Amino acid sequence: MLQFVARRLIQAAVVVALALSAVFALQFLAGDPVKLFLPTDTTPKQIEEFRERLGLNDPWLVQYARFMRGALRGDFGRSLRQNEPALGLVLERFPATLSLSGVAMLVALAVAIPVGVLSAARRNSWFDHLGIGATVVGQAVPGFWLGLMLIYVFAVWLRWLPTSGRGTWLHYVMPSITLAAFVAARFARLTRSMMLDVLGQDYIRTARAKGLAPRRVLYRHAFKNASLPIVTLLALQLGQLLGGAVITETIFAWPGVGRLLVQALLNRDFPVVLVGVFLTAVLYSLLNLTADLAYAWLNPRIRYE
Amino acid sequence: MRVLTAVATVALLAALAGSSTAPYLAAQERPLVIALGAEPRSLLAQHIVDWTTNVQQLNIYDRLYYWDGMPPRIRPSLAAELPQTPDDLTWIIKLRPNVRFSNGDPFTAEAVKSTIEWLLDPRNQSHYRPRFSFVESVEATDPLTVRIKTREPAPILRYYLVDFAVHNPGYIRQVGNDAANRNPVGAGPYKFVRWDRDERLVLEANPTYWNRPPAVRRVEFRFIPDFSARLAALLAGEADIVKDVPPVAVDQVNRSGHAEVRSVASSRINYLALVNFRPGPLQDRRVRQAMNYAVNVDEIIASLFKGRATRIPGALSSINEDVNPNLKPYPYNPERAVQLIREAGFDPARLEFTIDSPSGRYPLDKEAAEAIAAYLGRIGIRARVQVNEWGTHLDKIINRRTGEMFYLGWGPALEAQGTIAELFRPERTYSGFGTPALSQEINKAIPIVDRQKRRAAWYRIQVMLYTEAPWVFLWQQHDLYGVNKRVTWAPHPAEKIFVHDAAWVR
Repeated sequence: MLQFVARRLIQAAVVVALALSAVFALQFLAGDPVKLFLPTDTTPKQIEEFRERLGLNDPWLVQYARFMRGALRGDFGRSLRQNEPALGLVLERFPATLSLSGVAMLVALAVAIPVGVLSAARRNSWFDHLGIGATVVGQAVPGFWLGLMLIYVFAVWLRWLPTSGRGTWLHYVMPSITLAAFVAARFARLTRSMMLDVLGQDYIRTARAKGLAPRRVLYRHAFKNASLPIVTLLALQLGQLLGGAVITETIFAWPGVGRLLVQALLNRDFPVVLVGVFLTAVLYSLLNLTADLAYAWLNPRIRYE
Repeated sequence: MRVLTAVATVALLAALAGSSTAPYLAAQERPLVIALGAEPRSLLAQHIVDWTTNVQQLNIYDRLYYWDGMPPRIRPSLAAELPQTPDDLTWIIKLRPNVRFSNGDPFTAEAVKSTIEWLLDPRNQSHYRPRFSFVESVEATDPLTVRIKTREPAPILRYYLVDFAVHNPGYIRQVGNDAANRNPVGAGPYKFVRWDRDERLVLEANPTYWNRPPAVRRVEFRFIPDFSARLAALLAGEADIVKDVPPVAVDQVNRSGHAEVRSVASSRINYLALVNFRPGPLQDRRVRQAMNYAVNVDEIIASLFKGRATRIPGALSSINEDVNPNLKPYPYNPERAVQLIREAGFDPARLEFTIDSPSGRYPLDKEAAEAIAAYLGRIGIRARVQVNEWGTHLDKIINRRTGEMFYLGWGPALEAQGTIAELFRPERTYSGFGTPALSQEINKAIPIVDRQKRRAAWYRIQVMLYTEAPWVFLWQQHDLYGVNKRVTWAPHPAEKIFVHDAAWVR
């Protein structure tokens, strides 16, 4: 087991290094960042001085080596746009993204799993049709539209909730619903189809024949067995949310990572982009590892050697 | 299920940890909330040139001089009087006595000297360094007098001292640039309270301010990137001042009952550049003039902008100190346009142009570019609009990779050099235009110190530009602000939001 974890951690390090190298290479295709963040009255000679000072005139191999050496020490350089350490800029936004993703995931699961389980248990009933209908809508509605509609109804019209920003728990309501709508739809559909699969198995019939309570059969016997792919999806979705929910963060002025990274991309602020890629890659790798370990715990037949 | 419970617990804890930033509550009254699209790029004065950044800093630092009134005139703020120039190379600035920084340190000539030296030091990577490259030395001749010596006559310095913010040098030396950026100390009407990154900048009235105490005690700049969300914040009563209301939303704001649109003709101009750097029909002056005759600018202003733009006949706005009042806009005359194109030896039906345009950078930019393309289409020219993301647009212009025409804005600009010399000298690409004769005239005008002769030189150059028709001259944009009716505040043509000017209606 320990050996497995160690091997996976080494793999994760390789993934992170490759992701960083790929993005590092891509920045050379994106054009010169210096002219974009300097004021328009800067002369070509002064632009050249800035490039020299930032080391952008060195051969790419030298730049790459310098970047990787710095990255190993946790030094990703300074933001070109804000002239502050890039790592700090991104880390500062992490709690906001973490808390919003957490709440959104919670809302999504709290709605999606019961809907998925009950839809499967009462297949073809009105509840099933309604539930599946709702998930189709949830997946089809674009996040920016849902977000703006929520703002207009609940903040501008009814004045129940703040339009945007962060501060109280009320600020969480609309952005987490916007994020959860899409995620919940995926979970509900996956839960339903996995449950349908499992409910047709022999051991479910046996459990029912033993006279176990239907609730117990549904949740203890069926759901636990149906939950493996849900764990995988959970890890993937959480990774995606933590990478920053760009649209939701932008509409609701949520001070998260996604909003910062899109700004950085549009302004070609590469040090900030690279920090973002680094953290996202690390998170994804760790979440996947956690999902794999959770498998073994949920299903003792799976053991990693 | 156990996994889900674990996830739920972790999420809940994270949410609670995140919400520890308690809502900001004002002690006596709620803060005046100004919604902007982005946070400042720095809170260090004289560091970064950027509208959003500078408009927030202004309230913390104040400035030596500022543009006041309409038409705008330069007035002293932290300075005591307008600068004196005993000779072409010497500038004397007298400072206001008894001014203190918000931490109690005295504001002196030494501070102005240190600020200029700070921005000239390449290690500080100041965007202002190029502007002051002609400075030879700065001296504090007494505690309230600064003497600047320049290497060459530099009358533009008069304008660079407008909105010039001053550091507290002792403080920066003590804590360093990074810490001073995160916790700035200035001599302005407000002092720094808190900066929640990408969320809000909170300021409160500076008790040591030299002028009357601010009527608004607390100010909060909130950073809301999406325009619809900024508008929603205004309509919901959460924001008190929001910039750039789109013309289509004006009625919605005015009908809301508690907010209204207040507008000002900005000193920022919009133009359609006719690129003459490459061989082609636009290198012929007659074809460029024809473009000015072919586009019905007045009609675009009336129908698309609902009158919320002011036409300009040349390269300067009507409130520019140096604008030549004798120029009249090219009239709409498509027949004359066709005639000129034929005189130049071209057939309008065979001309094909690409117009590069940003989208959302300036009021109705893309729509205006499309309207212009349609007017060109009426005389047979095939014009195609290429819409670019802003970074790409700028990159194309800087590297001269645009189509034959591009749409751009410039400002705020209240004197001639900052527009004409910055745009029309050969190494500059933002005008899309340059000729040796023109740059020769510009280079002659730059060092003229005598104000009458200087103005006469800029007048002549404006006539040259009018005839050369390097652009389709369009308009000054009107800045539309959505403002809470309970706030007295009038928008400023140089796009400043100096909260000291504002008050709550009692």
